[in-house]
Amino acid sequence: MKRRFLLALPPALVSLVALPFALAPHAARAADPLPFGRGSWAALRAAHRGKPSVIHLWGLTCAPCLVEMPLWGKLVAERPDLRLVLVAADPVPQDPARVSEMLARSGLGKAESWAFADRFYERLRYEIDPAWGGELPRTLLIDRDGRVTILPGVADLAEVRAWLDRQGRS
Amino acid sequence: MRRLLPFVAVLLLATPAGAQHAHHGAKGGAPEAFTATPAFGPDGTLWLVRALTDRVVVVRSTDLGKTFTAPVMVTPEPVNLDWGPDARAKIVADAKGGLVVTFAIFQDRNFNGRAFFARSTDDGATFAKPQPITADKTSQRFETAGADPAGRVFAAWLDKRNGPKARAAGRPYPGAALAFAWEDGEAGFGPTAIALDNTCECCRIGLAFAGPGRPAVVFRNIFPGSIRDHGVITFGNPTAPGPIRRVSADNWKIEACPHHGPSIAIAPDGSYHVAWYTDGSARKGLFYARADNAEAPFGPPRALSTPNRQPARPYLLSNGAELHLVWKEFDGTKSIVRWQASRDSGRQWSEARTVAETADASDHPLLAANAGRAYLSWLTKADGYRLIPLGELP
Repeated sequence: MKRRFLLALPPALVSLVALPFALAPHAARAADPLPFGRGSWAALRAAHRGKPSVIHLWGLTCAPCLVEMPLWGKLVAERPDLRLVLVAADPVPQDPARVSEMLARSGLGKAESWAFADRFYERLRYEIDPAWGGELPRTLLIDRDGRVTILPGVADLAEVRAWLDRQGRS
Repeated sequence: MRRLLPFVAVLLLATPAGAQHAHHGAKGGAPEAFTATPAFGPDGTLWLVRALTDRVVVVRSTDLGKTFTAPVMVTPEPVNLDWGPDARAKIVADAKGGLVVTFAIFQDRNFNGRAFFARSTDDGATFAKPQPITADKTSQRFETAGADPAGRVFAAWLDKRNGPKARAAGRPYPGAALAFAWEDGEAGFGPTAIALDNTCECCRIGLAFAGPGRPAVVFRNIFPGSIRDHGVITFGNPTAPGPIRRVSADNWKIEACPHHGPSIAIAPDGSYHVAWYTDGSARKGLFYARADNAEAPFGPPRALSTPNRQPARPYLLSNGAELHLVWKEFDGTKSIVRWQASRDSGRQWSEARTVAETADASDHPLLAANAGRAYLSWLTKADGYRLIPLGELP
């Protein structure tokens, strides 16, 4: 996850990266999401290659997503083996500050977070999955071999836990 | 003052970014509406209503979209426009030369809307101050308006007024209601009535007319079990919405709203034509179906394209003896508009043909007709606004 990624950097770089966060006016507020644009999906997949990961697509304009978010917050607290990446995939790009507010409220302020930042919505969706019509929420379970299991709609977290258990064993 | 208005408008249009930051409370800029909706006037003038960041303007073209006049402001003050992907400002040009613009704003962060209309009686030189379409303040979105064959303007929208009442009485109230009103002389729209409760709440609705005083509205409904499939309601007379006729049993069970609304056309022979998007268990993708008349069941759905090309945003137009159907799909690099036409009441359709493409964001493709010719109307980020004549039927 992002935190681990930062720890892998040389110490000098860590302090440079950390500085803007230290100066942020709201200490409790999470950092703004990473802008998700053309090519971001490939970058995201590459960064997590070989590691079982859960990509959760959600949106500020998706009411069921907002209800579900705190449950993901609880799961993150419960399962240190959950490598969770959140992607806010609203059809019209949203204010990044509102995205991070929602995540902070849901206990997901420290999770790796992206938000659609390009109006060319068709292209972003196509890069993720050509057959995805944009419905939210949507969860992708990606194992260490890159095999993707799609959970459309609100995820059954028991299924996610069982999947995580299997990743630990394999 | 009237002379100055276009110049003021030009200045404002030239600085959308400035306007965005000056007038919005939202940090980082509010999401931006990006739509252009056409209507031809009886004299062949092309009227185009644009939803911009925080305002609605109307431009006109007398040379089929090659050049446009300076924009005329519809919203005198900056507004928090509904920027939802299925929302759009619309314009109706009636047979007498009058114009009616409709649009919606967000009242709050929970996407509660307020629908407005604004009328011009001086050939689009000015618009009267926008007025709410209905007195109730709960929430209205996806307003759509059209002039019936007798010239009377009808408006329909999705309205949430019955939700709080039901919940206060301890009853659940999924979705919204399909509400409607007719124009009532100079005063604007008359009383609002509800045609149907518990429709899906955030998809555009489609409108056509089966005759004078007989609107036909297509919308995504909530069928039992949270199945969000499409239905058509045809009015028996101006105040009598008929029963819902299901277009297709796609069986799309979803607890959310997909932001994908349908389109409808009625041909001179009275046949109904509907196109829609679904991700149901029975079928997935974009589909078309026809019915012989206002009562007959719809025939089997015909797939348009394949789901992995993201076919979406269908639009139908009846133009004399022709039917036209366009939709948008994505080829991996570009968004393209596909076109099919029929000359036999929708029984057989031409091979789909690409009529426009763009390599960046775009509005829904729309259709309009003038002097017997059908046109594609499409607003794109990279290539601007285009009005493309649909040539000889393929």
